[in-house]
Amino acid sequence: MTPPAESAYRRFHLGLLRGASLMVPRKQRAEWWREWHAELWHVRQECVPIATVSWRAERKVTSFCLGAFQDALCLRRHSWRQEPLATLQGSAAQCIFWLAAALAVTYSIALLLPGVRTEIHPSRYQVNPGLILIQDAHYNNDSPATIPLEEFRIWNGRAQRYFDGLAFYRIGREAVSTGSHSKARWEVAHASSNLFALLGLPVRFASPAAEPDDNLSRVILSDEAWKSEFGGNPRIAGTIVRVGSRQATIVGVAAEGAWRLPGKTDAWLLEPDSEIDSFGMGHVVAHLTPLGQSEMLAAHVPISALNSDDPEHDLWGASLDERTRGPLGLYLFTVLLAFLALPAVTSVSLGEYTFASHKSSWSGRLYRWCFLSAKIMLVLAIAYVSSLDLAYWHATSYSPAAEYVQLVASFTICLFGMKWVLLDQRQRCPVCLRRVTNPARVGLASRTFLAWNGTELICADGHTLLHIPGSPTSWFSTQRWLYLDTSWDFLFAGQGVG
Amino acid sequence: MALEAKLSHTTAIILQALDAGFVYGFSIMAMTGLPSGTVYPAMRRLERDQLIRSHWERQSIADAEQRPPRKYYKLTHAGKTTLEASRRRYPLLDRLIPSEEARTV
Repeated sequence: MTPPAESAYRRFHLGLLRGASLMVPRKQRAEWWREWHAELWHVRQECVPIATVSWRAERKVTSFCLGAFQDALCLRRHSWRQEPLATLQGSAAQCIFWLAAALAVTYSIALLLPGVRTEIHPSRYQVNPGLILIQDAHYNNDSPATIPLEEFRIWNGRAQRYFDGLAFYRIGREAVSTGSHSKARWEVAHASSNLFALLGLPVRFASPAAEPDDNLSRVILSDEAWKSEFGGNPRIAGTIVRVGSRQATIVGVAAEGAWRLPGKTDAWLLEPDSEIDSFGMGHVVAHLTPLGQSEMLAAHVPISALNSDDPEHDLWGASLDERTRGPLGLYLFTVLLAFLALPAVTSVSLGEYTFASHKSSWSGRLYRWCFLSAKIMLVLAIAYVSSLDLAYWHATSYSPAAEYVQLVASFTICLFGMKWVLLDQRQRCPVCLRRVTNPARVGLASRTFLAWNGTELICADGHTLLHIPGSPTSWFSTQRWLYLDTSWDFLFAGQGVG
Repeated sequence: MALEAKLSHTTAIILQALDAGFVYGFSIMAMTGLPSGTVYPAMRRLERDQLIRSHWERQSIADAEQRPPRKYYKLTHAGKTTLEASRRRYPLLDRLIPSEEARTV
């Protein structure tokens, strides 16, 4: 066998053993590795002939190394059986387990809530960029309908510099009947025929064959109405329904959660603007030209409509980006806020390690940082999912109220979650990452200048003592770790002192 | 007695191999034909049950032979008793792996 190939095999086999050693409990790992390493040397001496190519021999050595995994697993199982629950109390593994369990519970709840299911799929509410919702400037929020259809018709009839697309919709209650279904009253949006194209909303089950002739209006069903009224029939396109006094053809189903504009609807009746009933107010969606987009200021644009009868009609256009950004953007914003606010609620220090005479190993430091990172990630994930759970507990789709709930919940959970993460980390033994226990008061506050006073906690595995000053002084301002040497071991005999 | 009753045939073979003078993992594998994934975990269990005990070869011996030191296993008193009981249960054990004395005669 050529030396490079032999060396590659040797490294491969050592890599297999190294991989298996990761499953061995840490206390037994060194000895386990030493034994298997020695055995591998002997196996190679025995099986692999010198200076000859023998794939069969290498395969034999490989199968020997694969047995190491079973051995490691056996030791791991044995340690689990041996390890009493008390030794897991306060351990890093227990902490991660509970956080992961909390995340699993919150995520399971999220899967049961239709509102959250809709929100966590961003692809469902992607709309064209540059869209705005035009509202009367006298209204603070965009929920009420404020634009008369006649005014919209005037705008739409004029050549526009700032808009290259306009659509109108007005939501009203209508009697809807289909051939086989009884009459029902639905919330129907009477909308311009270009509304969905302008918004860029996906329509499912649409088929060119099902497009109606010019005499019939087109209807797009909401996902909810499609499921409840038509049993989720995928061949719905082409079905004729009667909406109010009009015959219309169903041309598709809007994707779940796709509709993010004001008003909840069961169906959209798409008609030419001239055929929409003039009764009542509605909403207007517009797409800005590049010139129009340059006028945007903080996601808003002031608009003045010059009508013959009301020359000073002030309007404003709000970008739909806010409505369609999804919960992740809001969540990231709250995470940023929480991190900024964190120093106000707790010290961001992780405790004093530099005063300790003991120099911890790089692997120990890495382990500590990995544990801290895992905790932070889990807490942030829990904050994201649980804030969505709270926000969409009752709401089935996007609403500004749900967004406010998410904002508050996410910020609160992130802030206090991070506070807990830091407090918890400060009270974990730097050697084994178990929480220190058995607090004991030491010293007297009245003798602060003679000796320190405060609380002393001990690692249950006998690695460290933690001293937390009762009243921080210039010479003892933060907590300190005292590493216990081997002379303390007899006190912890039988408790798994390594 | 309960422990003896639990001893499987494979474990009994490993005990017999140890008694026969095959005192490290690979030699037991070579003698019994059992794979490493069976032999080593079985020895861990036997050691846990105090039927065998292990010790490391002296470094000086290994150095003299220019090889890494090996971990040797040896039957304990309880292990010998259990092996005797296993021999009564599996009469062919002795024939499969003759003991050291039998081989030297």
